[in-house]
Amino acid sequence: MAKARLIGDRTNRVMVQAMERRSTDVRGRIFQISLLVTLLISLFILAVLIVDVVVDAWGVLTGRPGGFLNGTMRSVSHDNKLGVHQALVGTFWIAVFVAVLAFPIGIGAAIWLEEYAPKNRFTRFIELNIRNLAGVPSIVYGLLGLFYFVNTLGDLTGGKSIASAGITLAILVLPIVIITAQEAIRAVPQGLKEGAYGVGATKWTMIRSQVLPYAAPGILTGTLLSMSRGIGEAAPILLVGAVTGRLGTDPAFLDFSAINAEAFMAMPVIIVEWVQNSGRDPGFAEAAAAAIVVLLVFVILMNAAAILMRNHFEKKRG
Amino acid sequence: MATEMAEQEASPRLGLDMDRIGQAAALDADGDPVFEVEDLNVFYGDFLAVQGATFTVYEHEITAMIGPSGCGKTTVLRCFNRMNDLIPIARVEGRVDFRNVSIYDPRVDPVEVRRRIGMVFQKPNPFPKSIYDNIAFGPRVTGMAKKKSELDDIVERSLRRAALWDEVQDRLKDSALGLSGGQQQRLCIARAIAVDPDVLLMDEPCSALDPIATARIEDLMHEIKNDYTIVIVTHNMQQAARISNRTAFFTAQLDSTSDRRCGLLVEYDRTETIFSNPSDERTENYVTGRFG
Repeated sequence: MAKARLIGDRTNRVMVQAMERRSTDVRGRIFQISLLVTLLISLFILAVLIVDVVVDAWGVLTGRPGGFLNGTMRSVSHDNKLGVHQALVGTFWIAVFVAVLAFPIGIGAAIWLEEYAPKNRFTRFIELNIRNLAGVPSIVYGLLGLFYFVNTLGDLTGGKSIASAGITLAILVLPIVIITAQEAIRAVPQGLKEGAYGVGATKWTMIRSQVLPYAAPGILTGTLLSMSRGIGEAAPILLVGAVTGRLGTDPAFLDFSAINAEAFMAMPVIIVEWVQNSGRDPGFAEAAAAAIVVLLVFVILMNAAAILMRNHFEKKRG
Repeated sequence: MATEMAEQEASPRLGLDMDRIGQAAALDADGDPVFEVEDLNVFYGDFLAVQGATFTVYEHEITAMIGPSGCGKTTVLRCFNRMNDLIPIARVEGRVDFRNVSIYDPRVDPVEVRRRIGMVFQKPNPFPKSIYDNIAFGPRVTGMAKKKSELDDIVERSLRRAALWDEVQDRLKDSALGLSGGQQQRLCIARAIAVDPDVLLMDEPCSALDPIATARIEDLMHEIKNDYTIVIVTHNMQQAARISNRTAFFTAQLDSTSDRRCGLLVEYDRTETIFSNPSDERTENYVTGRFG
């Protein structure tokens, strides 16, 4: 009896000691800190980039913001009519093309792959290739655009036009749209689908009433991120005809004839152009920085719209 | 009269079944057969999940399916409304007749089957919509209600039947996800009965609920069994004993050739027989708690 008690006391003491020992989990701490460091590195790089660009652009953006937004391509940097209007129009329409072409096609393909496609070797092959296409360098898509949309379909697109560039970039982001939409659709709980089927919903009703509303926020986030990537691309649209020198025309935002007019300009291209020009005319460096800020704001506005829409859908999702 | 005729029609086939299951489940059958299952095999790919199940589910009864994990009871339940169709590798062999219609006949539309044979799932799965829209979903998609007033009626009636109306009548427009687990499950029952099905399939409907919510659901099942035929899968033997008229005991049997476990219907009989005087030793071991 006494012995049993003794053992009990000892066990208890050992337990208390073990629980009170606040041994520091050294490896865990190191891991945690290194994760924080990686985050800080990315944030630091981003902050340096933004600060650097904004500082360079400060003169132009505060000095004549309206003039810069409405101005056109000029040969000297101190020209007061120097600005990004032509490029903004080009980028705006390219974004419209991507939205109108890549989103419905991409989301439709994703729905088919997730909900309708039989799971066999053929569909696996298709999915594998979509993943590969997402990794193809953008210049390759530029070549595709040059061959098909500029040359073969030149009568329709107007050759080296905004339309050609828009279609090319839509195809460029299509695989990303499909993949992100597929992932959003896959995340829809099986219970919701079965619940809908369980009360006699057809497949289409089930998709429309359960899958799409639930997946909408995810689809939206993915597609708009891909759009941001698309309109930041310079290489492929240089191939399909973005002008790097002076562009004679300056169409308005809603001038539809500009869509398939020969020659156009876009924000990434104008930035490349001005950075190159800064060698002979240092003032262009400032203009390039200002154009970068304009492009960043354009992308941020688009993402803000996406976030607002996503919140709206999420609220509806409950 | 109709009952007698159905019995006469059914009895030759049931006679065969009885040889198989050993006990006279259908001798004092008091309702029409709703489901007649014969030699049901279900495969997932090459894997035989359920082998040779044969039994009959009768009208206005609660039929319970019990057995250890992996014995195929949920798989069998999901054959009744072709829910297994949603699993691409699932394959069903044998006969599953619903009121003398073979539901695996190629001409049968699974959507129509599921409208007549409602289902309540293990985990409450309300849609991320309002309480009202959850109930109205089925009547809307099946085109049952054209007018708003008809829909309002169906929603109220279904919620009343599911004993949920008093708790939610003031907040029909609120999200169903704000309800407690037990309320959500009653909502799912209300949603299932809103399309006026013939049968309710319940797949462990109380496994995620506390005892009080469980008791409410069981009371509810008792109340609605006069209008519906209920088939319930449960892990809880007391529940099966409390609520069901008939019980099917399944077990998982090791297949010596493939070295995998395969579901097998061991015994099907009136619930009191299964629990007090089972004919198979495996059933007795299970219901007395010696196994599983």
